[in-house]
Amino acid sequence: MSAALKRLRSLSPEVLSPVLFLLAMIGFFLIVPTSQGHPIGSYSIYSVLQTFGTYGLVALALGLTMIAGEFDLSTLGMFALGGMLAVKLGESSAALGIVLVVAIGALAGLIQGALIAFLRLNSMAVTLGGYITMIGLTGTLGHDKSVSYLNVDTAIKLDEPIAEIFSRHSLIVLAAFVLVALLMGFTRLGRAVRAVGGDRKTSRTVGVRVNLVLIGVFTLSGMLAGLAGGLNAYSLATAVTNPGVAPLVFAATAALIGGVTVAGGQGTAAGIAAGALAMSLLQASFGILASPIWVTEIVTGLLLVVAVLLTAPLIRDRIANARQAYESLRARRTAGGID
Amino acid sequence: MSTATSPERLRFQGVCKSYGAVRALADFSLTLRPGEIHALCGHNGAGKSTVVKILAGLVRPDEGQIEIDGAEALARSPQQAQRLGVALVDQEISLIDVLSVADNLMLGSADQPFLNRRRAARSRARDLLRRVGLDSLDPARPVSSLAMGERQLVEIARALGHDAGILILDEPTATLSEAEIGHVFDAVRSVSADGTAVLFVSHRLGEVMELCHSVTVLRDGQLVRTAQTTELDRAELIQLMLGHEPERALRREPPAEEGRGSVTIRGLAIPPRVPGLDLDVRPGEIVALAGQVGCGATDVIRALAGHSSRASGEVRVDGRRLRLGSPGVARAAGLAFLSNDRKSEGLFLGRSVGDNLVATRLKEMSSGGLVLERRVEPVAGRLAASIGLEERRRSAVSELSGGNQQKVFLGRLLEQPGTRLLLLDEPTRGVDVGGRADIHDLVRSAADAGVGVLFASTELDEIFDLADTIVTMFSGRVVAVARRTETSTHRVVSEMTHAPNDREAVA
Repeated sequence: MSAALKRLRSLSPEVLSPVLFLLAMIGFFLIVPTSQGHPIGSYSIYSVLQTFGTYGLVALALGLTMIAGEFDLSTLGMFALGGMLAVKLGESSAALGIVLVVAIGALAGLIQGALIAFLRLNSMAVTLGGYITMIGLTGTLGHDKSVSYLNVDTAIKLDEPIAEIFSRHSLIVLAAFVLVALLMGFTRLGRAVRAVGGDRKTSRTVGVRVNLVLIGVFTLSGMLAGLAGGLNAYSLATAVTNPGVAPLVFAATAALIGGVTVAGGQGTAAGIAAGALAMSLLQASFGILASPIWVTEIVTGLLLVVAVLLTAPLIRDRIANARQAYESLRARRTAGGID
Repeated sequence: MSTATSPERLRFQGVCKSYGAVRALADFSLTLRPGEIHALCGHNGAGKSTVVKILAGLVRPDEGQIEIDGAEALARSPQQAQRLGVALVDQEISLIDVLSVADNLMLGSADQPFLNRRRAARSRARDLLRRVGLDSLDPARPVSSLAMGERQLVEIARALGHDAGILILDEPTATLSEAEIGHVFDAVRSVSADGTAVLFVSHRLGEVMELCHSVTVLRDGQLVRTAQTTELDRAELIQLMLGHEPERALRREPPAEEGRGSVTIRGLAIPPRVPGLDLDVRPGEIVALAGQVGCGATDVIRALAGHSSRASGEVRVDGRRLRLGSPGVARAAGLAFLSNDRKSEGLFLGRSVGDNLVATRLKEMSSGGLVLERRVEPVAGRLAASIGLEERRRSAVSELSGGNQQKVFLGRLLEQPGTRLLLLDEPTRGVDVGGRADIHDLVRSAADAGVGVLFASTELDEIFDLADTIVTMFSGRVVAVARRTETSTHRVVSEMTHAPNDREAVA
């Protein structure tokens, strides 16, 4: 027990944050609605995973660019454009639509990544341009109206419950998370992405191909956001011209409470998944309680503040200093006891 | 060890490199043989870093030939240098804080596999760490949790892991303890015995004499001499680095010895480098903190300016205790700080000279929250005139030379009411000779007006040109305090380059 406690204490805030938030949200989800007379059933868990399926990949796309020390605003644009393109291109075959959308997302990400890497441009500025262009394209393709997806069978199949709590939609998203987690955790690419986000100048000095890494990350981000948009449009059997900022707020919050830092270099796909799941639990809980939307917004905002505070350099410094002082005091006491 | 007959591992022939008008390296030649540990010595600006950067693929020479194992070998990138068998341990630690030790050891390695097999990586990491004496270090630990000395050893372990034919160590021991230095020496001797040629760049002449087989001395970008270390002693090496001892005239009358310091420092500790420092600076006195890179002088300047959240100790300005850790509090107490990085911590490069000069005194030129141009103009004009840039007052700072940019940065600190102490970190870094003289004049005139000056410098010429009192630092500690008139360049170089416990042997 004490070994487990010691291990828990030695975990960095980047690891602790997603664990703590996820546990807190699971607790909230299990206790609060039940105490208000809304017991949790398998359908509630299904709806949590559906929310996760809708926005999880946007969080992963944005989170990956944040780990690399950048910020991809165009994930929101690609989410919208991906939906519209999937509806337009996938009428005969949903699979073909998804493949094309992912390929277009990759191309958009590659162009933005190349601009950012080779011209050393600020990613916020470049991807803001990307976002506006993509939203414009989405509106043009849909003639400023929502477009229905006529292949309704696909929509039904995609959201059909599997083992009561899953659906094809949520399983595809979970599989994408697993793939990216393997890529980040078990290949040299993951190490390179964290290195580039942690210290770009040093990464160049020691021989990391910084430009390639950045282009790769933005390409992957485009693919994931496109996939998210396509799946969402098929689920709803509709593509909307402008999804608003909700997916971006969800994604940024999930990434930050998932242990990704704005400064870059830290975070994992598993952490982002935990963050996205925590956000989905929160939204589902308030959904079950039929709370007004502003309650969810206030709580989400507060969560974000707490998550950011956990990684504040000054607070971390102070905690490290206090911990060091405590340990040296303990060591002195132990030595005194032995003498 | 190498022999004169063994084939050459590395050959520099007639290599030249200029940065703009500044000639960093002129017709430089060097030969390294397998197994040789060769020192590269010289003062700041001698050209050592340029040799290292060319070899590591970070800059390209303008002229000359470079051969590795008899084949032409000009690296155009760090990756290419690695493929040519060159491994560099840089003086600035190049580890990624957020990654683990094992990840850092694998980073950038040209032969790292696509799959990250953690068990294999950690086992290889343990082998490498053992070679530098870090047997008990867990490879899974994040680098951010390591002490400075451990970081340096991990960096050396990484270079050893590249199995390079040429290993460059650029000031590898600046931050290490004696025991850690012993581990580094053992590791270097071991790779040398395996046939690796080692280029050891260091200011620490004691270490050069102890570790290296041969030495090349550079001065002002020119090769002065290459010799076996057995042919030279430390005093001769210092003489070669300095050239002749320059005659120095007293440019100003230093303030009298009597009187309490306007700034008194007692027990200033700045983890992890400076354990505790006592110092007094009197009004009008110019005090130099002299030492090599990493000696702790920069840490002291920055801590006094409020830029270290971990600093502790007692600092009094005119008797009043200063709260450390806040730049705003330090400024309000009369401490004015000039960073060693004017571009990122000093100037608004896109704004005019006038805007930069008045940037910290807008309050006194404002009324009701509005900056009044009629109040700005005369002050900006006067300050620009005082630094000799009146005609360029409206030019963007980015258009100025490095020397003029530094004058603008310094000019902003001058004539500020309430200033008690100027804190200058490498006040003439990257400044040409003419600009340097102007900057020194500005500092002297501030001191003549009664402001104390504490500056950190690694450059001997600057220290002797400017200081009334020279405080030599080594490994975070004060080695000696002396009036400029009572010491010599030889003595200061000895103090800067040797540990306190072997000073007597040198003096």
